[in-house]
Amino acid sequence: MLKQVRGMTGDEAVAYAVKLVNPDVLAAYPITPQTIIVERYSDFVNNGEVDTSFIPVESEHSAMSACVGASMTGARVFTATASAGLALMYEILYVASGMRCPIVLAVANRAFSAPINIHGECTDQLVCRDASWVSLFGESAQEAYDETIMSFKIGEHPDVQLPTMFGIEGFIVTHALERVETMSKTDVEEFLPAERDVKYKFSPDEVMTFGSLVLQDYYMEIKRQQEEAMQNAYKVTKEVMAEFTELTGRKMEIVEKYQLEDAEHAFISYGATAGNAKAVVNKLREKGEKVGALKIRLHRPFPIDDIYDALKGIKSATILDRSATYGSPGTIVQGDIATALYGKKDVPTLHGFINGLGGRVLTLPQIIEAYEKAKVYHEEGKTLTQEWIGYRS
Amino acid sequence: MVEKEAPKELKKWVSEKWGTKNLPIGGTVPFHTAYEYKTGDWSAFKAIIDKSKCISCMNCFYYCPDAAIEMDEDMKAMVDVNYCKGCGICAKHCPADAIELKRLTR
Repeated sequence: MLKQVRGMTGDEAVAYAVKLVNPDVLAAYPITPQTIIVERYSDFVNNGEVDTSFIPVESEHSAMSACVGASMTGARVFTATASAGLALMYEILYVASGMRCPIVLAVANRAFSAPINIHGECTDQLVCRDASWVSLFGESAQEAYDETIMSFKIGEHPDVQLPTMFGIEGFIVTHALERVETMSKTDVEEFLPAERDVKYKFSPDEVMTFGSLVLQDYYMEIKRQQEEAMQNAYKVTKEVMAEFTELTGRKMEIVEKYQLEDAEHAFISYGATAGNAKAVVNKLREKGEKVGALKIRLHRPFPIDDIYDALKGIKSATILDRSATYGSPGTIVQGDIATALYGKKDVPTLHGFINGLGGRVLTLPQIIEAYEKAKVYHEEGKTLTQEWIGYRS
Repeated sequence: MVEKEAPKELKKWVSEKWGTKNLPIGGTVPFHTAYEYKTGDWSAFKAIIDKSKCISCMNCFYYCPDAAIEMDEDMKAMVDVNYCKGCGICAKHCPADAIELKRLTR
């Protein structure tokens, strides 16, 4: 494939990737730091560069509702939001997954109010983890670009048919100008089927009832189908990422392992924080520390086996989690990791560090401090700890 | 009044107790499944239409929230008691006062 390089912010990367996909419908409501995605896309629509029906709605609740309606006709649908917008969509997230609409949602991860804050934090997306949406995180503008295109293929797979959301951290990724290797229209056409493969849809030719009342007698069966689709999504994501790697030459995996082969200690992170972790690994390796980093790209379905394979034999793991949870035994992602590893052999002790809330900069010395603490906790025989770093006491 | 029935296909799902493997995804079902639920059983009132007074305006037909009113061959309104919940909206909107609600005693 012909490789071209452009300078793009994370938001622009998403907009340009969606342009190549050219979905049938886009319904969205502006919210910082997502706004640029839809703003750029509206340029494409009004310049006639794409033939998407663009629906400017009055709220995020309406945006997701419009997306569900459009998706039920068999259309390919995209939307984007952040923070409070995602929280307002929450009710309809369950409708989208329950009615099996493979909508693609770009989340510009942003802190929740109050106090009001527009900067990066992943809590908004993580609290949607039980909504039966496939959930991905991107570290850079490049990953935002790639995950946009892959999300359509993962969600629309006949064995999955679930909506997909992918997150990029507000401002840290969405507004930072980065180098992005772009794809061509023909690459995307080759990668993505021209139309969705849908069995049941709103159609005057075949009348069906959608969104019907389902009580005790069938509800659990319908929900269980979603769980089975989620399990399929794990396999499909793996296949799609392998196919994408072959097409573009950019390595895409469910989890990214960095210098973990001979490591004794590890960092676990997701999204933009993974970049910091890798930089710290380089620094610590210079000092002779045997340390590596694991980046979780796919959060739902949670890649249990991949995480176990990556962490087997590691002594202690420092989990850097840019999300808030209160009164919890661990950070949000730490909870998933602990559940995935519990009872297995040769697994690390897990030390979670809540950091970077509301866009607070996570400095490399802070990460090293967290790492040293985790090592001490490990020596003391603590298996699971959670604390906050990077705040003034 | 013709007895209404859900599609045979659906009855098969129910009698064979279909599970996750066979049921269509997303809770999608054939249309007219609501025919299976004789919601008229819930009613405390019954709408009685005096056909001699009916002026065929079809107000009741359009206003009925349960689509329980049909027009007969002479274009006079009639009530399907299987689905009439006795809400009284038809009686309220009848310009000819042709509909009366009677308390049901069981």
